[in-house]
Order: sequence, then structure tokens, then C-alpha cells
Amino acid sequence: MRIDFCRITRTAVAISTALLLFAVPQSPAAVLDEPQQPSGDTPLTARGQQIYQERCISCHGVNGQGTPQAPAPIFGDRSLADLADLITRTMPEGSPEDCVGDDAVAVAEWMQAAFYSPEAQARLNPPRLELTRLTVQQYRNAAADLGVEFRWRQAIDAERGLNAEYFAGRGLRRDKRVFQRQDPMVDFQFGAFSPDGEKIEEEAFAISWDGSVLARESGWYEFVVRTENAARLYVNGRSTPLIDAWVRSGADTEFRGSRYLLAGRLYPLRLEWFKFREPTASVQLYWKPPGGVDELLPARHLIPKNSPEVLVVETPFPPDDRSAGYERGISVSKEWDEAATGAAIEVADRVLAGLKDFLKLRDGEDSAKRMREFAGQFAERAFRRPLTEELRQRHVDEQFAAAKSPEDGLRRSLLVTLLSPRFLYREVEGLDDQYDRASRLSFAVVNSIPDAALREAAAAGQLQTEQQLREQAWRLVNDPRAKSRLLEFLRSWLNLERLQDLDKNDEHYPGFTPQLAADLRTSLELTLAEIVNSEQADFRSLLLADRTWMNRRMAEFYGVSWPESGSDFVPLSFEPERRAGVISHPLLLSGLAYMDTSSPIHRGVFLTRAVLGRGIKPPPVAVAPTAPELAPELTTRERVAVQTSPELCASCHRMINSAGFALENFDAVGRFRDRERDRAIDATGQYEQRNGQLVRFNGARELAGFLARSEETRRSFVRQLFHHQVQQPILAYGPETIQRLSDLLEQGDFNIRRLQVEIAVISALRGWSTKSEQTVADRSETR
Amino acid sequence: MQTRRDFIRKLGLSAAALPFVSNLSTFAAAEARNVRKQRLVVLFSPNGTVPWDFWPDEEGENFTLKRIMEPLNDFQDRLLVLKGVCDKVRGDGDNHMRGMGCLLTGIELYPGNIQGGSDTPAGWASGISIDQEIARFLQSREETRTRFGSLEFGVMVPDRADTWTRMSYLGPNKPVAPIDDPYQMFRRLYGQVQQREVLTGVLDVVREDLQKISRVISGADRQLLEEHAEFVRGMEQQLRSAKDVEATHVLPVLEPGIREENDSIPTITKMQMELLVNSFVNDFARVATFQITNSVGQPKMRWLGIDEGHHELSHEPNENKEAHEKLTKINTWYCEQLAFLVRRLAETPEPGGEGSLLDNTLIVWGNELGQGNSHTLDNIPFLMVGNGLNFRMGRSLVYPKVPHNRLLLALAHGFGHHLESFGNSGFCKDGVLTGLV
Repeated sequence: MRIDFCRITRTAVAISTALLLFAVPQSPAAVLDEPQQPSGDTPLTARGQQIYQERCISCHGVNGQGTPQAPAPIFGDRSLADLADLITRTMPEGSPEDCVGDDAVAVAEWMQAAFYSPEAQARLNPPRLELTRLTVQQYRNAAADLGVEFRWRQAIDAERGLNAEYFAGRGLRRDKRVFQRQDPMVDFQFGAFSPDGEKIEEEAFAISWDGSVLARESGWYEFVVRTENAARLYVNGRSTPLIDAWVRSGADTEFRGSRYLLAGRLYPLRLEWFKFREPTASVQLYWKPPGGVDELLPARHLIPKNSPEVLVVETPFPPDDRSAGYERGISVSKEWDEAATGAAIEVADRVLAGLKDFLKLRDGEDSAKRMREFAGQFAERAFRRPLTEELRQRHVDEQFAAAKSPEDGLRRSLLVTLLSPRFLYREVEGLDDQYDRASRLSFAVVNSIPDAALREAAAAGQLQTEQQLREQAWRLVNDPRAKSRLLEFLRSWLNLERLQDLDKNDEHYPGFTPQLAADLRTSLELTLAEIVNSEQADFRSLLLADRTWMNRRMAEFYGVSWPESGSDFVPLSFEPERRAGVISHPLLLSGLAYMDTSSPIHRGVFLTRAVLGRGIKPPPVAVAPTAPELAPELTTRERVAVQTSPELCASCHRMINSAGFALENFDAVGRFRDRERDRAIDATGQYEQRNGQLVRFNGARELAGFLARSEETRRSFVRQLFHHQVQQPILAYGPETIQRLSDLLEQGDFNIRRLQVEIAVISALRGWSTKSEQTVADRSETR
Repeated sequence: MQTRRDFIRKLGLSAAALPFVSNLSTFAAAEARNVRKQRLVVLFSPNGTVPWDFWPDEEGENFTLKRIMEPLNDFQDRLLVLKGVCDKVRGDGDNHMRGMGCLLTGIELYPGNIQGGSDTPAGWASGISIDQEIARFLQSREETRTRFGSLEFGVMVPDRADTWTRMSYLGPNKPVAPIDDPYQMFRRLYGQVQQREVLTGVLDVVREDLQKISRVISGADRQLLEEHAEFVRGMEQQLRSAKDVEATHVLPVLEPGIREENDSIPTITKMQMELLVNSFVNDFARVATFQITNSVGQPKMRWLGIDEGHHELSHEPNENKEAHEKLTKINTWYCEQLAFLVRRLAETPEPGGEGSLLDNTLIVWGNELGQGNSHTLDNIPFLMVGNGLNFRMGRSLVYPKVPHNRLLLALAHGFGHHLESFGNSGFCKDGVLTGLV
């Protein structure tokens, strides 16, 4: 038995290595995670096995793992009929007529059961819960929340804009304040005049804007002040201005500075500005979000309330592993260790720089004693559990004892804490108690360490039942961090990061500027955010929504009449008879297209892989798409069909193309068309489901309707969201988990937040532990 | 206060790439080549001088030091007095602003929004300053490259950035802020060493913890922690070997708890000068500026029994003998600070070389004005000390009102950086200031 296990394991390793080799551009893990209906031992399968052993094994190996003659491992998610069809047409190589009809079906059925299907693959290579370290994103969030825990948190309500104070004279002097008001954004052209002809003289006046800025996603933000006068901008910290143009000098009128911001959090922002004797006055506050362009910092990202400085770690880390389609901390490297060390120093340094703020010393309080207490609390929060006496000794007391001063002791203690595996890894002791539950629940919802309420619940033994965990998860799921995390997931679901730098042929698509491309991105973000933030948070709305957020520039480009007087984003009805949900959003349509023409293949791959969750292997040969000029008489659809007609291509492209064709009504920038080169558009398409049933649709709306109803879409969404939240393979939580969550989504009014909650509960109840690993080992030995 | 950004910049993003162990000073490299080191210090004090107590009466090698320069008696053979060198830059800004902003740049200020006591408002200088130009030149060559290139020291520089508080410029509109907090300067110079010491002290705890946890885990998961422990061990070893190299560094000891306030000026000045000497010993930089207060500086030298602010006194007419007695005392005090620095450099042997630090260092003492009450930019009280640039020292020179740009050029040439002109080229037509070598 033992020998057998070892052999299987080695095979499994070989397969997974092969998987990694194939993991470009996206991992086939999707395939592994979608079990199909199991097939039992039947006379047919026995016959199939016999045929396989006689005719296939010499090239494909015992479990389809491949041999030097045919090295590619065989696995996938084709339906039985589809697989049998493939065998009939292509196998054995050179004489496909030798294995057809019932023989092909028998072999296909046996292969499905033995190694081909995701379920069989899961059995050969049992997924397990792995010990992981914090991902980079988790590290940054945890550091920020360690800071927040010792400061305070500002709630985000509906109010938007900044508090403005207007002063007479160049100084921001309280006694010279003329009036106060809220400004939605900073965008002022005063010309030669003053903001208040009666009370403020135009020669010299000053304004300050105060509040907070809300980050859309995590990354580097560039802030830009444009003025011919003087300005100073503070973002996330008052000790040093991000932009200091207080001395106007020469002809510079644009000033820039960058900050790394984490999504879903508020950062204090203050802009000070004055005019002194210059002939004219103006001031504008822009920003350039990650991957975006310079735009006026919109009111929806400004809050007229102050907020505490956020401890943002800026030390660069190497990127996390994404070979399974989601970020996981499954490996360490020298670069990572160095980054973690640099980050620990950065955090310690910033805590010590803001020590007064963190310690909240009362008058006459012994600061050395308070520092020691603080060090203990810091370690408990970082480790997500109370300190044992031994740990307190080693991480706090001994560090203070070894230091020359209390500050030095605190620095040592902070470093020991931040470099400890108890902070850097997820539930590293594997105790699987309520503190581990609190930690898993928190990471699953807000991707960060537990807050005070969760810590207290764990301490009080109130994370015992599913219901208790569910209540905590519901509390957290309404946190802005959870909402921005869900948006982050939707971005990855829609593969948005691969749609950067949209560029179109100016001649054919005049007006498709970088600004418009950035508008499309904002439009999709706002459209998604509206769904996610709504009471219903209805999954189907992602695919069926009939309104799209647009600004004036975008509305004009897409020929939607602009009803508003302003130019900022508003939700508009956008060709509701032709479009539905994200799949016909112009960002996706133009992102999944070439500079001049649409790309049914890119769109089809997106629909089948990202939305329906099909595993698609990379093309066996690299093929350059036929240039439209070389086949001027063909429509895009015809050209694609011709190019992918060889059998080598067609076995996958039949599925890909016929899904992508349904979006042919949209050109390379996502505008509707019913003709291409004077030929009518054919937007009919079809999809063969995993259960073998064929679905037909015509155009985007019918396609979207099918996707919204499809269980495959739902399962794929569930699986991807689970991985995003939990960073462990869903099959390790039992083969039925995907179905259970998929049913739950359907029965729970398709509420995504509810799904988030249930995923968090599942993850909290069971995680990596020293025990769970034992179980896997046991299972392997007894097999 | 050190900001996060400063911190990261100082770690030089090497936080990930070359953490803590590289970036050790480059003194080893320079020593190996045995090239003579050359250094420049620009010392600034404000509000002009008292001409009759400053300028020697005689020209040439035989001259008597007046009251203000008396503290330098022991070093008369290593002085060079430069009378008749004038800041001729005009344009926007009042004389205090131009005196400061053009002192080391030799070029006009941009128009701007800083309004002085007279003239038109101005902004920053429109060019690089000579200290930064020379530092850039030295940093561009491997044999003269140092960890920082230049260091900008300050003493009680007001916490506001404007034309009166900045004399060093990285380029047009790029003023460099002097660091006037000795503790902050210490962190800048030795922060990494301190971090390394602390890190070395904690990494063994981290490694033990990793091992302890590894023991209860099996299989691939355990391997992950073991790999991690291996990296920690690697870093520990690197840190230890770095420490051996650093053992040769001299770490200055600072008196703790000195507050930044008027009465601490003498103490802070000494602390900063010790840090300056120390950074030369460790070869952290070859160029330094040392700015005592600022243009229009208002220190109240109560330790001399003077309760009025310096700038306020400097406006008094020549006839006010009492005020000028105080002004002479004030300028003598500045000269005493210079003498302290000179003495410290003279008694410190050149590491790995011949003679003392002073043998390889030139100090230029300058001012934003010639005299306070007239606000003249003529006869800026320039005094040079030390033998860093092969100038023929021990002389009192008088020039026929030459633009100071020519002096700035001479400093560059003294480092082998043969610029054709510096700052406003109109003032450089007659080339490098003659008679120095």
C-alpha cells in the first residue's frame, strides 16, 4: 500500500509540474476544481479500460500523465460526448478509424472516471489545506489595521466633498477667516477676481480644504496640484507635505507627488493655497489613480471629515504566487524575507515616530511602563491571540531588558513581533481554536487581522456555533474594506488588469483617447460598485443590469443623449434592447478586441473561461491572427471561422468562437453595429454545456440571459470567489462545497454578500491545522 | 522628525534589493587608490559683518588679524582673506533674499510670491549651487564617490522653507533643506548601523521561534518554515560580517535631550560640528554646508550678554557704537565656531592618508551681506581656511570689486572640475578668480 501511495504521489507531482508549465496565461486549476457526475464501474468502463490499456497507454501513460511520445497530460472538463467525439475523430493518431462509435464512448467513459475528469484528478492529487504566509496585500492590510487599532476609525457616510475655509490675505489666519463652506471638489478659476467681491480683496487671499480621500483600489496614486499661485498638499500625514509649492517660483504651475494607498480606507487630506499679487488665481486638485490618467479628484472620493493617518507599508515586496489563479502565500524567498525585514523596520520606525499618538499617554503616566504594555498589545493583535507567559517573556520582557532605552526596547519588541512566524503566517501553530477561527473569518471577509469585537468574541468563546460565526461575518461584510475587497474580486473575475492601456486606431475610432479609456474603467467600476453596494447585491445584475454609469464624454462617444447639465458620471439607460450587464460593457468589449476589429476569440475565451469556468489549454501552436486586409471579402466572424478550422484548433475553438460570436454586434470600441463591410452581422452563437446540452443564443442579451441562469456560471463564480477569499483550494473543503454554495447563492436571492458570509463561515470552521495535515496523510496511507 | 518617505529614501529602496548590509561607506575603495581626498565646507552666518573689525588693514602675507578673526590666530598661515568679492546678481527679491539665494548659485532668483522688505517678490534661485555642483562632480567619478556626496548641516534654521532659509540648490527651483536637528543628522548618518544592531539582536529570537513551530508541523508545510529559517540565518550572517566591517567606524556620542531653542545654539553648533568631523573621518561625504540660522537670522546671543536679536542690531547705523560693539562680539562668536571646527579638523589625522583632515579640507566662511545696515552685497566677508584646494594660504587679498561667481568657479577648478562659467555667465567673463594659487 505504501509503495503504491508513493508511486501515485510521484505521478501527482509529475502532473502538477506539467500543470505549472501549462499555467500560462491562466492556470488550468479551474479544471481541477469542477468535479463532474461520477461514473461507476460498468461493463462499458471495463471495456474502455481494456481498450485504453491496449491502444492508448503506450503514448499517454497509465493515468494519462503523458510519455515522451505524447508528453502533454490528459485532463479536462469536456463532456463525455465531446470527449468521445474527439477520440473518434483523432485517436489513435494516424488511424482514428480504429476507435470509433461505442469503443470511443467506452474509452472516454473510463478515462473520465480514471483520470480525465476534475474529480478523478482531485482523487489522484488530493487537494489539501496548506500552511500559507500572509500575502503581500494581507501584510499591508494587517500593518494598517495594527495602526488603526491604536488610533481610531472614521466611518464613511454618504457626505462627499471637502470642508473649505476662505481667508482674506495670504495667511491662513483664523481671525482673517471670511467664510466656510463645502466644496465638492477643488476646481477653481478665479481669474483676476476674488471669491467674494465684498469681503475678500483680490490682491491676496487664501483657502484651505480639509477632509479625507477614499482610495478605489490599492496602489500608487499620484496627486497633482495645478495653480499659478502657491499651494501645499498633505495626504496621509501632516508632518511633511506631499507637495510643497508654498514658495511660488518661476513658471511652474503643476506639482506632483505620489502616495501608496490601500483600498477601502480613508486618508486625511488637506490642501492649503494662497494668492499673492499674481495677476490671476486658480487652483485644481487632480489625481492619477493606478492605471488611470490625470483627472480632477472627483467628489465621490472626497469626504468632508477628518480621519487618522493610516500606517501604509511602502516597502516593495516580490509578487505572490498566482499559478492557481489566485494570490497565495505558499512560498518564501530571499527577496521576500528581505522585504519582510525592510517592512518590519518601516513599521517600527513609523510607530516610534508617531509614538505619542499610539501610546495615548495620560498626564503623569510612566511612559516606559506604557511602552511595554503597548508592545504586548501590539504582539497580541499581530499574532491574533493572547500572549502566553513564555511568549510575553521572549517577545516583550527580554527585548526591553536587552535595550539601552525604553524606545529601543519597543523597537526590538516590534521587530521581533513583525518578523515572527506568528505574524507572518496564517494560523501557524495550527491550534484550530476560536482565535484561529476569528483570524480565518476576518481574513476571509476583510483580508486582514481580526478587530477588537472578533478578538473579544474569541476570548469569550462566542465563535463556537455556525450562527455565531455567521453573525460576525455579517457584521464585517458591511465594512468598507469588505466592499472594496469584493470589487477587487470582480476586477479579477473580469480580468480587468489585462485590459490596461487600451489603444485604438485613431483613424477609425477618433475620440477614443486615453481619457475615454479611463472613463470606461471608471464607468465599469461605478456600475459594479452600485450593484455590490445595493441592498440586494444581486449576482444576476452583474450580467443583466441595464444601466451604465457614464460621464458626458463617454455618453457623447457612444451616442447616448446627455440629460444632465454637469459632466460627471451618472447612471444612464444604455441601449437596453441590445445590451445587458458587464459582458456588453464598452470596457470589456473594447478590451477584448484589436485596434481595428472585434475579436470573437478573446471575447469567447473570456466568456467560457472566466464566466463559465471552462479550463482552456493554451493553443498547441502559436498562430498570428489573419490580418483583415488579407481577407477583405470576409467578415470578422468568417475570417475567424476559417482561421480556426483546422482540427488542431477547432477542438477548442468550436466552443470559444461560438460563444464569442454572440457579441459580434459590437465593434472594436464596443459600439453597436448591425453591419460590417455592408454585410449583415450574424450574432448567433451556441454553447455545449458540461452536461452535454446545447444552448443557442442570438446577440448579447440572449447570451447574458443564458449566463445569468447557468449553473456553470454560478459554480465558476462561487469557486473563484472562494479562492479569492480563502486562498485555499475549495476541493479541500469537500467535493460538495461548490455545489452547496452554488445552491445557496441561487436560493438566497443571488445575494453576493450572503455568499461572502457563507464562504467566510466555511473557512472559519475549517482551516489548516497540524491536525488537518495528519488527516490527509492518514487518508493516503489507508488508500 | 523623520518621515516615512525620508526613511524609505534613506534605505534607498534597497530595503528589498540590498538591505542593511551594502551601502556601507566606500572608504575602503578610496583608500586602496591612495588618491588625496579633497573636501569643501561652506560655513554661513547672517546679516553682514562689521567691516572695520573684520578686514585686515594690510594686503599680502604680512597682516594682522582684527578682533573678529582673532580666534583664528593660531591658524593665520592657513587663512586666505578675500576682500572686494561682490555678489553682483540683481533681479527679483530683496538683498537678504538674493544674498542668500545667489551666494552659492551666482544666478538670479525666479519671480515669485515671497515679498521681502523691499524690491519685487521672488521665488527660488534659478540654478544649482556650487556645493551641489561639486558634489555631483565628485559623485560622478568612482574614485571620489561617497555614500552621501554632500551633507547639509544647519543650526536653528527656522522651520519654514523660503528664500531666506535655503542657500544650497540641487538645481533651478530645487532648494535643499539643511538638517538642523543633530539627532536627525545622527540618524541619517548612522541609522542603518543602529538598525543593523537592533536586527542582529532580534533575529536569533525569530529563528528560534521558527524552529520551535517547525517541530510540530510535518511535510511540505514544515519545509516552508525551514526554508524561511534558512533565509533568516543568511541575513544574520550578513549582518554579522557587516558589523565586522563597521567596527572600524567611529560613532560619535551625542549629549542627549538638547532641545532646539535659541539658548542651545552653542551646544547644537558643537554637536553638529562633531558630526561633521565624524562624517569626514568615515568619508560619508566630501562636501558640506553649515548654515548657522538663516539670512535675516535673529539669534539672541544671551550667552554673550546680548539680549537683542542679531538682525535687529545689524540695522543700526555705524554711529551707534554700542550696537556695533555687540555686532563685533556676535561676529567674533561666529568666528570662534569656525575656529573650533578648524581646530577639530587640524587635530584629526586623515584616515589612511597623510597629515590632518584640515590639510585636505577647505572651509569657506560667507555671509548674505557685506554689512547689515547698508544691506550691501559688495565686499561679502569671505574667509577661507585650510589646505584642501592647493590655494596659497596665509594671505590677505584685495580685489577690485569682482563678481563672486569667479570665486565659485575657482572652487570648482580647485576640485579639478573645469567649468567655463557658473551661475550667470555674464559674471564669469574674466574667468576663474586669479591670485589664489
